[in-house]
Amino acid sequence: MSLRRFFWGVLVLLASIAGCETQENFPHRPITLVCPWSPGGGTDQVSRKMAFFLETELGVPCTVINATGGQGVTGHRRGMMARPDGYTIAVITFELNTLHHQNLTTLTYEDMIPLVSVNEDAAAIWVPVDSPWETLDDLVADIQSRPGELTASGTATGGAWHLAFAGWLQSAGIETDAVKWIPKGGADPSIQELMSGGIDLVCCSLPEAKLYYDRGELRSLGVMAEETVPGFEDIPTMREQNYDWVLVGWRGFAVPLGTPEKRVRILREVMQKIVKGEVVVDGDSFPEFMHQRGFNNRWRESEDFRAFLARNDEALGDLLHSKAFASLAEGAVGPYDFPILLGGVMICLVVVQMVVSHRQTRETPQDNVALDSSVEKNHFDSIINVGCGIAMVLLYLAFAETVGYVILVSVLLFLFLVRLGTRWVSAVAMTVFIVPFVYSLFSTVLRVPLPRGWLGW
Amino acid sequence: MELQAAFLAVFSVETLLTILLCGLFGLFVGSIPGLTATMAVALIVPVTFYLSDVSAIAAIVTLTAVCIFSGDIPTTLLRIPGTPSSAAYVDDAYALRQKGRYANALSTSLMFSVTGGLFGTLILFLCAPQLAVLARQFGTYEYFWLYALGLSCAAMVSGESRLKGAIALLLGILFSLVGLSEVHSEPRFTFGSEELISGIHFIPALIGLFGVSEVLRGLWSVGQSTTAPSINDTPVQTDFSVVRLLSEWYSMLVRRPWQTIRSCSLGTVIGMIPGAGADIAAWISYTFSKRFSNTPEDYGSGSEEGLADASAANNSSLAGAWIPALVLGIPGDSVTAILIGVLMMKNINPGPDIFTQPEQVTLIYSIYLSFIVANLVLIPIGYFGIRTSGLILKVPQRVLLPVILLFCIVGSYAISSSLFDVALILLFGILGFFLERYQFPLGPVVLGLLLGADLEATFVQNLTKDRSLGAFFSRPLAAALGIICLLIWMAPAISAGVRKVRQTSSRNKSA
Repeated sequence: MSLRRFFWGVLVLLASIAGCETQENFPHRPITLVCPWSPGGGTDQVSRKMAFFLETELGVPCTVINATGGQGVTGHRRGMMARPDGYTIAVITFELNTLHHQNLTTLTYEDMIPLVSVNEDAAAIWVPVDSPWETLDDLVADIQSRPGELTASGTATGGAWHLAFAGWLQSAGIETDAVKWIPKGGADPSIQELMSGGIDLVCCSLPEAKLYYDRGELRSLGVMAEETVPGFEDIPTMREQNYDWVLVGWRGFAVPLGTPEKRVRILREVMQKIVKGEVVVDGDSFPEFMHQRGFNNRWRESEDFRAFLARNDEALGDLLHSKAFASLAEGAVGPYDFPILLGGVMICLVVVQMVVSHRQTRETPQDNVALDSSVEKNHFDSIINVGCGIAMVLLYLAFAETVGYVILVSVLLFLFLVRLGTRWVSAVAMTVFIVPFVYSLFSTVLRVPLPRGWLGW
Repeated sequence: MELQAAFLAVFSVETLLTILLCGLFGLFVGSIPGLTATMAVALIVPVTFYLSDVSAIAAIVTLTAVCIFSGDIPTTLLRIPGTPSSAAYVDDAYALRQKGRYANALSTSLMFSVTGGLFGTLILFLCAPQLAVLARQFGTYEYFWLYALGLSCAAMVSGESRLKGAIALLLGILFSLVGLSEVHSEPRFTFGSEELISGIHFIPALIGLFGVSEVLRGLWSVGQSTTAPSINDTPVQTDFSVVRLLSEWYSMLVRRPWQTIRSCSLGTVIGMIPGAGADIAAWISYTFSKRFSNTPEDYGSGSEEGLADASAANNSSLAGAWIPALVLGIPGDSVTAILIGVLMMKNINPGPDIFTQPEQVTLIYSIYLSFIVANLVLIPIGYFGIRTSGLILKVPQRVLLPVILLFCIVGSYAISSSLFDVALILLFGILGFFLERYQFPLGPVVLGLLLGADLEATFVQNLTKDRSLGAFFSRPLAAALGIICLLIWMAPAISAGVRKVRQTSSRNKSA
């Protein structure tokens, strides 16, 4: 009797909440920004600042999630494949237009709705201040006099700045493999390697090297921008030195395809206000932040952004599919060399281990047998218990996205507690206490969005 | 004068309150597996906009220090490392808890965390500029040897069988190679899955190997409840007071001052190197501790010495990470990367100038003072954490296990809101369950996952620069690290050789 009343109560509660959901008062839930790069980096800083201003304008919590790895594939994919309800915003960068040309993903700029681009930073070639090269011509002459000896870095193999550098080499009429590219995780470790004397030059964007440039430790031979960049006036462009080469990295925001038009418009309007500097919190605005960090605050509105994406994608595609780049993909060490080496060592060790343990069991066979027989009794219960544990995770995986955290976990936890021998009344009490507690803990205090079902929680 | 101003800034109501609140927040975040210090710091960044410069810095210092310690709480009570840096001594901490001495274990790690933190601050204060020059020497050759050193340490100290340790380590490294690496343009072992392109993240692996496998083991033994004793039946020590906490710490410190200094210095120096952090510091310090210990056989089965040395090292590495951040503006780890962002937001440009400009001197002193205050505040907060977390032991296993599993699921989801990570904890949980059954150590798998990809990257980078292996020793620092590494590899052979010589000579004598 009481059980039935309980279920009715739950049903009424669900219905009332589902009713709330259908009303169009976007946004009324936390918004998530999916950043494809790690915390502390340039894109992360820009995303977090944007989230901060979005939060003050929209009045709902806006959280940045760093879905890193795979040279940006993971983050872009997760942002663009999210549920198209406007509550997940993808942070997109330059790599969106290179990854699919390299066959690393199938997603392109056409698989999302661009909101606004906030920043365009040109790449530049950096050398230590005491370097012998004064101009790009000096560098070109040196490269030609000893091809294959100089080393450069800035990103991973095939990353943005690698393309930038190779493109410049091509424009200078030099083979793209005349300078060895030492693949590095990012601009920071590359510059550090440059300072430790491990490489000869670095190719990366202006703000990434700003700290060292301001301090007079690095100077630039040329920047790959259309015209001189404010704040870096003494750096000549490539064109000024007669190399026809321009390459800019960009950052922007987008939502998945299928997001309701009305929500897209709300987000676009707010973001445009923010990038134009109309949103000021404590005397701080978005453009001011960008300027202070050395990020070029060049922004584009939705349609302009889309057209820019198309042009950028085509240009990069031409570059990546050109013959000169085919050879770039192959490094000095093949992708399977190191795993094969380790695998070989591991197989040897496993063989030795098997011999050793075989010898040991022959020496002391009685112990194991005795242990096993004592355990034998309740094997069945144990296996069922372990199976329940595994099933809980599997069911969570299967239904979290559709049913939502609250309902799914309540059911699973309740069943599991009862299975392990808790009386059902106390199991209900624990479930009712623990599930909302964890939910509010994660989503409000720790600001981690938990899976939402169709009901919205 | 500047010192006085710094005192006023640090001991203001705002700063002290910030430290206290961040301490409690850090205690919480650190003790939930899956939530890391980096995440905690990233979470409070928006709050720092509203705080004064000193409060913002103090908040970050406190958060990291408390997080690294509170990672030890689930390590000890549940055998689930709260943060990766606790993985080095998980077996020791849990062995102590099984003997009913969880409060001992936790108070040791608390007090030595504080010791490490204070020592690191001292180094930061005394010789930050000089050490920063050393940090700058690190190129790909040096990093290769550093990673190799960290990895071999894990295999060396693991359990009874070095062979099994090495196999577990290689397994971890092989897992780390899944996906698209930074040195190749072709993803490996992904089987066409776009999720796997980013590889296997070590935090879900950590939660799976330790957390889920522990839950599965627990579930197994609940089924056996008639035969196997529940872990919660073990006697629990009740005498646990502040006086005892301090006196035990004091006696241990007096007993082994040099070992403590060694661990702290190792921690600080390793923390200072960008890309190497609290986790490697803990492993290397633990290995050194075991190598030079009089009772190496205790390590892995409840050695308080190993626990003390490793927790001192991981906390001192936090201050170490600030050395390149403050002196050079180079982040020592992801926390200091965020820190530099916050500082720049407040118009403070870290770099050599920060030490010379007179108006910045007050700030520098405030940073040192915040470090000291944060580490001292860690004592009451940690004590509170130990007292309250002890309640977990009163919860019956059949209730605790489902709830831990729930936290494992939610915690792994928290890393990047991906259900793929939740699937990983299950796979690694089952793997951990079986590895444990066949007595393979789990720690090396995690460290292999953590550093394996970096090891490969530096290996490939070195060979791209110069195809000869001799180049690995071409720079003085690289050569030194390489030789230490080779010595560690050959140590078992050398010690076995020495033993044999001694045995034969003693036999000759007796004959």
